[in-house]
Amino acid sequence: MRRVVLGLATIAIVAVACAPKSSTPSSVASGADQCAVANLNLYASGKLTIATGNPAYTPWYGGKSVPGSDWKSSSYTGDPHTGQGYESAFAYALAQQMGFSKDQVEWIGIPFGKSFAPGPKNFDFAMQQISITPKRAQAVDFSDGYYDVNQALIADNGSPAIGVTTLAGLKDLKLGAPVGTTSLDVIQQEVQPSVEPGVYPDLHAALQDLKNGKLAGVVVDFPDAFYGYADQIVGQFPPIAGQQERFGLAFQKGNSLVSCVNQAIGALKTSGTLKQLQDQWLQTDANVPVFK
Amino acid sequence: MSGGGGSPDIYFAKGGPEDPRTPPGGGSRSPRILGGDRSARNVWIAVASTILFFGVLAVVVVRSPGWPEIKQQFFNGQEFAVSFPLILRKFTRNIFIFCVAEVLVLTLALVLAVLRSLPGPVFTPLRIFSATYTDLFRGVPTILVIVMLGFGAPALNLQGVPTSSFFWAIIALTLVYSAYVAEVYRAGIQSVHPSQVAAARSLGFSRWQSMRYVVLPQAIRRVIPPLLNDFIGLQKDSALVYVLGVVESLNQATIIQAGDFNFTPYVALSVIYIAITIPQARFVDRMVARDQRRRQAGATL
Repeated sequence: MRRVVLGLATIAIVAVACAPKSSTPSSVASGADQCAVANLNLYASGKLTIATGNPAYTPWYGGKSVPGSDWKSSSYTGDPHTGQGYESAFAYALAQQMGFSKDQVEWIGIPFGKSFAPGPKNFDFAMQQISITPKRAQAVDFSDGYYDVNQALIADNGSPAIGVTTLAGLKDLKLGAPVGTTSLDVIQQEVQPSVEPGVYPDLHAALQDLKNGKLAGVVVDFPDAFYGYADQIVGQFPPIAGQQERFGLAFQKGNSLVSCVNQAIGALKTSGTLKQLQDQWLQTDANVPVFK
Repeated sequence: MSGGGGSPDIYFAKGGPEDPRTPPGGGSRSPRILGGDRSARNVWIAVASTILFFGVLAVVVVRSPGWPEIKQQFFNGQEFAVSFPLILRKFTRNIFIFCVAEVLVLTLALVLAVLRSLPGPVFTPLRIFSATYTDLFRGVPTILVIVMLGFGAPALNLQGVPTSSFFWAIIALTLVYSAYVAEVYRAGIQSVHPSQVAAARSLGFSRWQSMRYVVLPQAIRRVIPPLLNDFIGLQKDSALVYVLGVVESLNQATIIQAGDFNFTPYVALSVIYIAITIPQARFVDRMVARDQRRRQAGATL
């Protein structure tokens, strides 16, 4: 019987040994300047660690990849470290506004799901053209919007989508979009297609099927439409349910860093820097018709 | 893998140590979940230790600091209720994919196995072909074959070649699983003692006839459990075709997961998979046990 008790005790001990340590509560800096770099709740002290996808696509990320970087640049992709492309430029402007120097900004590549997976993160926030929605806000904390985005349809010459001006005209076409994007929501909620759309792990896979002629068109974030992914921009979509779509930075729920980041975004908006970066990196003012 | 008798075949099928003399489905005693000795005291100990172990484990998980977040993001009842029917509807596509692929696999793999088992120097090129095929498709990750065929083949722009992602997904799964299943068949073929072929030949059967009427019926019966095992593997891998943009169950789950930032749809999909694979696994266990009983009873084939 003693052996039995011993055995049970061992099992119990092993099970308890597997128990996770409770995380230490993050210290909230009190005092006047809680947004000074030294007082920020950062993943790595003294560094701003930003997560984004790899590959990182133009026009959000651009430039030639810097030596030692995990990102490879091509005609469609760039390197976040360059400060070129809207999100990269915005990241460095934000970092500077918050008091970081350029080499205090660290980038890490993550799959999309990592940006909202529960548990401790190995970055401060994710910057990956993530649209703010109330549903998503249950899982992460969003910063204020840093870009107002619309959706557009691109197609190659010869596609039946060319020349279409109404949402109804797109109904019977096979369209495609990357998974987890507003582009897909636009197809499902505005076009309400009779043909099931292709849903791809990333934009590149969708574009491959566009080239293969399997798709009549691909829905993309509006600025993406100007970067030669396809022959033509067919049109842009009105916002879903009249709600302007915004990109936000995604933080772990409860991260106290959000308020300081929002302060910096607010300052960039007021100073006109945000607008200037958008004009510099995103081409959006072309005369693209809105689908009726 | 609770059926001890099935294990040798499983290892064999995945290219493990090859021993044609190991009778498939036979061999070691299968361990019972409750332990061999059923005296009252042992049962009591088993029950108590099980309750204690899983009880402590459950308490540790549920009381962990991250549990509320995990519960909200992985075990969200509302999210489950919304996503489950949608995913289940798309799961019919997976069923179509793996059923069609399985029929093709069973046929192609048998051809490959027979080719590889052909004796005589004249058939060397066919044996080489079969061996190379098996090596190649067992060596390349399934998802790579799917991506390369699914995006590559339609880009050839060949007349008459279908461009449907669905089509190429099924072809890719067929190619990969035929390599595995061919090895299973081959194990079965080799497990039939050569003296049986010699006997058949001496009775005037041709090589083909002795393969068709003597070897294959015994071989296939012996490898049915590992065949089912590979079929279950195929069912699970049917989810990989999501990379081609086919909206099947995994893609549907991802659409909801990425849209709502919630992982519950994956749990819902796992529930569906478990619901279909566990009955099959139990069925295989039963078959192995029955086969074993028949052998031990000394019954002839």
